[in-house]
Amino acid sequence: MQPFDYYKPKDFDEAFHLLNTPGKVVYPYAGGTDFIPMSRDGVWKCDAVVDIKGLPGMRDIQETPEGLFVGAAVRMNDIASSELVASHWDVLAQGAASVGSQQIRNRATLGGNMCTASPCADTPPALCVLNASVIIRNAQSERRVPIADFFKWVRKTAVQLGDIVIGVVIPRPAKGAYGSYIKLSRRKGSDLSLVSVAAFTYPNGKAANWKLALGAVAPIPVRSPEAEAILEDGTDEEHIERAAKAAADTSKPISDVRASEKYRKLMVANMTKRAVRMTLERRGKGG
Amino acid sequence: MLHEITFKVNDETVTLAVKSHHTLLKALREQLGLTGAKIGCENGECGACTVLMDGEPVNACLVLAVEAEGHSIETIENLNKSGELHPLQKAFVKNNAIQCGFCTPGMLMMAKGYLAKNPNPTEDEVREALVGNLCRCTGYIRIIESVLEAAKEVA
Repeated sequence: MQPFDYYKPKDFDEAFHLLNTPGKVVYPYAGGTDFIPMSRDGVWKCDAVVDIKGLPGMRDIQETPEGLFVGAAVRMNDIASSELVASHWDVLAQGAASVGSQQIRNRATLGGNMCTASPCADTPPALCVLNASVIIRNAQSERRVPIADFFKWVRKTAVQLGDIVIGVVIPRPAKGAYGSYIKLSRRKGSDLSLVSVAAFTYPNGKAANWKLALGAVAPIPVRSPEAEAILEDGTDEEHIERAAKAAADTSKPISDVRASEKYRKLMVANMTKRAVRMTLERRGKGG
Repeated sequence: MLHEITFKVNDETVTLAVKSHHTLLKALREQLGLTGAKIGCENGECGACTVLMDGEPVNACLVLAVEAEGHSIETIENLNKSGELHPLQKAFVKNNAIQCGFCTPGMLMMAKGYLAKNPNPTEDEVREALVGNLCRCTGYIRIIESVLEAAKEVA
């Protein structure tokens, strides 16, 4: 592995000072599950890392007046097992629970899953349907980026060198909201998604609003407004079929060693149907 | 960059000078001579390097050594420290849940960490818990049976 320096600052002032070391490329560091292999393979090169896990608030899962705050250094297993997350934002817990293996989930963080911006990451589709905002801070100021504007391309986000992602804020959904995150992979556990779907519904008067996000089938997670509109019109089998087709049309998958474009598109339709039916079932049972 | 870190390994406090970019796996094996945790994929996929960090299973290849500061690490070498094999080890031996043995330390540490959290797992839960531990001799059935058997003993 290429040598790099490691710092663990006590507060944000020190962290930003280190991140802005003149002439040096310095990355924030959290779980390390992407950073270590990428650094060893020479894909990511930096002079130093700044461990942000110990900074105030970074490991918090908290209810706020706006909804839910999840710190960027919160680990996948912490999200997956949080009663607070499960109470209204269960679709995020489902996404976190499907990342990698136990070993990975004990280290990998929400901020890392977002910032690595792999198309097949498991928490971004859930964050998309939940309408999360990402809190990003630099030495001067703090900004909020809606999740829809956070992902720019494969491994590209709104985060700049010198920034620290603090966490996400997720609005509290209306009472009676239900969601499902499911993924298709070659192996049941510890594998990357070929296709993933997050479906989320909540009451809007007598009607129901739907949000649908697809993972691993475009450079960034994508919503399918067409499929959402069809589901908002109705959720009988005919509507679900049409929504599934609309979702497949929204997707722009690639062919690679793991699956062909054609297969992935077919699976977008199938997985969409499955995620919508699961969500309807959850709603029917009330949980 | 060198860091002097103090942490617990198998209940003993140790102080080590480690380099920033060295992994916990490298420090355990090369500086402490604890070669039970294996170097497999070095990618977090095979689980052969699984150790417990504050009781939780992690891939030692994906933790920087410097991050161990102040934490407690348990490796396979701790399992029979009393001179007697751990119930998990006994079950693995009894059921021949081992062929080449390379994945075994990781399997055992994963299973130990998991049983501490869920002492009475179903077969499906054991399978799900072990997804991050690959055995290329394809001996999963006996491994799963051994973990279930040991669970009764440990609980």
